[in-house]
Amino acid sequence: MSLPTAFEDASFATAPEVLLVDDDEVNLMLTALALRERGFLIVEASSGEKALELLRNHAPDIVVLDALMPGLDGFDTCRALRLMPGLDTVPVLMLTGLDDDASITRAYRAGATDFFVKAAQWSLLAGRLQYLLRASRTLIELERSKSKLARAQDLARMGSFDWRRSERGGVGCLVLSPEALRVLNLGLQDRADLRTLLRMVPPDDRRVLLRQLQAVGQHSSVLTVDIPMVLLDGRQRMLHLEAEPEFNEKGQGAGYTGILQDVTDRRAAEDKILELANFDALTGLPNRRQLIWRAERALEQARRLSHQFAVLLIDLDRFKVINDTLGHAAGDEVLVEVGRRLRGCVRHSDQVMEGTLEVTGARSHRALEAIGRLGGDEFLALLPEVADDEDAERVAFRVLEALRQPIFVSGQECFVTASVGLALYPRDGHSVVDLLRNSDVAMYSVKAQGKNASAIYSPQLAGQGREKLEMETALHKAIERNELVLHYQPKVDVRAARMVGAEALMRWQRGGRLVPPGEFIPLAEDTGLIVPLSEWALREAAKQARVWQDAFGFDDSIAVNLPSRLFERSDLVEHIHQCVTAVNVPHRMIQLEITEDNLMQELQNVIPSLHRLNEIGVEISIDDFGTGYSSLAYLTTLPISELKIDRSFVRDLGVTPQSSAVVTAIIALARSLGLRVIAEGVETLRQMDVLHRLGCGVMQGFLFSRAVPSEDLQRWLEQTVLPRKAPWIGVALDGPQGSGGPLVMGRKLRR
Amino acid sequence: MNPESECPQLDRATVARLHELDPDGRHGVVRRVLTAFEASLQRMLVQLTAEQHSGRAEVVSSLAHTLKSSSASVGALALAKACAAVEQRLRHATAADLDAQVLLLIRECQFGLRAVRAMLQA
Repeated sequence: MSLPTAFEDASFATAPEVLLVDDDEVNLMLTALALRERGFLIVEASSGEKALELLRNHAPDIVVLDALMPGLDGFDTCRALRLMPGLDTVPVLMLTGLDDDASITRAYRAGATDFFVKAAQWSLLAGRLQYLLRASRTLIELERSKSKLARAQDLARMGSFDWRRSERGGVGCLVLSPEALRVLNLGLQDRADLRTLLRMVPPDDRRVLLRQLQAVGQHSSVLTVDIPMVLLDGRQRMLHLEAEPEFNEKGQGAGYTGILQDVTDRRAAEDKILELANFDALTGLPNRRQLIWRAERALEQARRLSHQFAVLLIDLDRFKVINDTLGHAAGDEVLVEVGRRLRGCVRHSDQVMEGTLEVTGARSHRALEAIGRLGGDEFLALLPEVADDEDAERVAFRVLEALRQPIFVSGQECFVTASVGLALYPRDGHSVVDLLRNSDVAMYSVKAQGKNASAIYSPQLAGQGREKLEMETALHKAIERNELVLHYQPKVDVRAARMVGAEALMRWQRGGRLVPPGEFIPLAEDTGLIVPLSEWALREAAKQARVWQDAFGFDDSIAVNLPSRLFERSDLVEHIHQCVTAVNVPHRMIQLEITEDNLMQELQNVIPSLHRLNEIGVEISIDDFGTGYSSLAYLTTLPISELKIDRSFVRDLGVTPQSSAVVTAIIALARSLGLRVIAEGVETLRQMDVLHRLGCGVMQGFLFSRAVPSEDLQRWLEQTVLPRKAPWIGVALDGPQGSGGPLVMGRKLRR
Repeated sequence: MNPESECPQLDRATVARLHELDPDGRHGVVRRVLTAFEASLQRMLVQLTAEQHSGRAEVVSSLAHTLKSSSASVGALALAKACAAVEQRLRHATAADLDAQVLLLIRECQFGLRAVRAMLQA
C-alpha cells in the first residue's frame, strides 16, 4: 500500500525535514518509520540534549518533541531551542499524553507551536505536521512581506496609521506603524497621539487642517491632504495624508485607516519645476511664459473691471557691447543687477503662478504686477492697473532713474541705460500680442531717437517703423544705384588762412531728397550695411584726393569716419592699400577718424589695426574728443596723430567758463603728447578767436564752410580763400602773419 | 487470565498496523521494532528491579511513562494500561504503595517480554 505523501504540493521543493526527539527507542523508531513512509525526512534524537546538539549545526523545518523525557525534557528543550539563532519561529510540536492537560499548557508556555496526543495513528501526526509546516511557511511569507512592505514604506518615507473614533468624543485613538513613526521622526516610546501631531502643524495651517478634518469626518469621506509639519527636531516637512473611512456594523463611521508620506522632496521638486517653467533662472524674475500668463489675466481683469493696464518694454541700450567687451559672465552679472533694480520700480509680486490667482477681491489683479525678463536684455514691466499715461510714465521714469547709477562688474564701472516702450490697454491694443508689439514699436522709436528714454506707443510710431523698414531696403541698393555721395568740409589753418585737409561726410540722395547722416548711419550700423558703406567711402575719398591733387596740387589728407567694427576687420589695411594704389596717391592722403567712445569701447580689438595703419602712413584722428571716457594711460601709447575737440565745447566757448577750461586742457594734453589738435563746429568769429588764443589754430565749421560737394569745395577755395574774401580771414589774427604767405594752397592751384 | 498457563499475546490490530509500515516485509520493520522493544523491556526490568524498595516514585513514574507509549505501540496493551495506571497513581498520590506498583510493573513487563518473544519466534 502506498501512503499519500503529504508534501508533493508546490510549496515544498524538497521533502520537509523533521527533527524527532523521543527517549523511547521503540517510539522513536516507529514514529520515524511512519513519517518517512509519508515523505518526511527524519532526523532522530533520543534526548533533549542530543536534539540541542544537532540543532546547533542545522535547522530542520519542524521539531517534534516528546514532552516527558529523562534529563532535559521536552519543555526545557523547547525553551532552549527558542533562544538559539534562527529557531525562534521554527514550528515545534509537543507530544503529550492523552490525559495530560498540564503538559499542554506547559508546552505552549515553553514556546511550542502546538501539541499532539501520542498515538499510533501516524496519519494524524503526519497531517498535523503538514498543517504546521504550511502555517509556518505562511507565517514566514507574511513576515517577509511585512518586512518588504516596511522597507518599501521606509524607502518611500511612508507609514500607515489607524484612527478610531472615540465613543466619548475627544480626539480618538491614533495608532501609527513603526514606519509612520520614523516618518515623523518619533521613537516607539514617544507620545504620538493626534493632539501631539496637530501641535507639529504650524498654527495657520492647523486651523485649515482642522476645518478639513471636521468636514471630512462629518461625511465620512475620503481624506487626501498635504500638511506642512515642523518635526520635533525643527525640520520642516510636507506630509501627504491619504485615508479611507471605516464603518462599524451599523454603518457608522468608526475611524480612518490610511498612509502618511513625507513628500517634502517631491514637493520641492514640483516647486522647482514650476519655478523653472515660470521664472528666469538667471535673474529669478518671471520669464516670458509667466509674463504672458500674467498679462492675459491682467487683460481679463482690466476688461471686466473697465480699467487700463500697461506694459513697459525695457530694452537695455548697447548691451551687446558689455557682453562683447567684458564677456558673457559680466553681461549676466549686469542683467542680474538690472533685474534687481527694476524689481524695485514696481510692486513686484513673485507669488502668482499658473492657476493660483485667487479671483477674490476687486484688487486681486494687483498681485499680477511684476517685472520679468522676456529674454536677452529685454525686460517687461506689467502694471495691471493704471489711471492714465502719466501713471505708466512714472514707472518708466523710475526705471530710467534706477539705471543711472553705474553697475560694478568685473571690477569696472558699467553705465547701462535702457529704452522703454509703453503700451496701454485698451487704447494701444486689445490683446496681449498687440500690446507687446506696440510697446516694442514705442521702444524702437526711443532707440532711434538716441536711446535712454521712454515713449508711449502711438500709431505714427508704427508708421515710422514701416518707414524705417523701407529705408533699410533702399539703403541696401543705395550703393549700386550711386545714390551715395561724399561731401567735404575743409579743415582750415586760420593763422595761415589755408586749407590743411578735409573731412569726408557721407550723404544719401534718395529720390531727390538728401537724407542726413543722422537718419541712415545708425540704421546702417544696426544692419551691418555700415561695412560696405565705409569701404565705398574709402574708395571715393582716395579717388577725390587724386582728383584734387591733379586739379590744384592738393597734398593733404581726406579724413574718413569709420566705426570701430571696420577697425576690427583684418582686411582694412589691405582695403585702404588697394584704394590708394588704384588711384596712385600716397597712403597718407587718407586719414581715419574714429570717435572717442567707439575707440575706447573696442580698444583691445582695434589697437592692432591702428598700429598697422600707422605703419603704412595712414593717420588716425580721434573724433568728438572730450565727450567719452578716454583712458589717458592709453592715449600716451596709442598710435594716433590728432585730437578733434568736440563741437559741444566749441559751441559754449565764451559762454561758459568750463568750456574754455576743457578746451585748454585738451590743447595742453595734445601738445604734451605731441598730437595735433583741431576744433570742429566753429561757427562764429568769437569762437575762432578764443580757440586761436587758447592755442588751437586748425578748425572746421560753418564759419569757414559747410560740408559741400567736391566741386563746390574747389570753387570755395578759388573764390573765397584765395582772394581772401572771407570775413574770418585776417580778423582774429593779431599775431604775425605766416612767413610762407597767407594764401598758399599749393603750387599747382589753378585759377 | 492466567499468565502462568496461557502465553500472553500482542494485540493483533496493533501488530497489523506495524505490518502496514512495511507491507512486503522488505525492511524487516516488525522484527526490528519487536527486537528493540524486547531490549527495552529487558532494560526496564533491570531498572525496575533496582527500584524495588528505593522509594523513588518519580523514577518509577518516568519508567512507566516511557514504557506506556512503546508498549501501546507494539500492542502490549495490558502492559500499557498498567503503565498508565501506575503513572496516574504516582502523579497524585504519595508513594505509599510504591513497592506494590513496582512489583505490578515488573510482572506486566515479564508478561510483555514473553509475548514479544513468542511473536519473534513465530
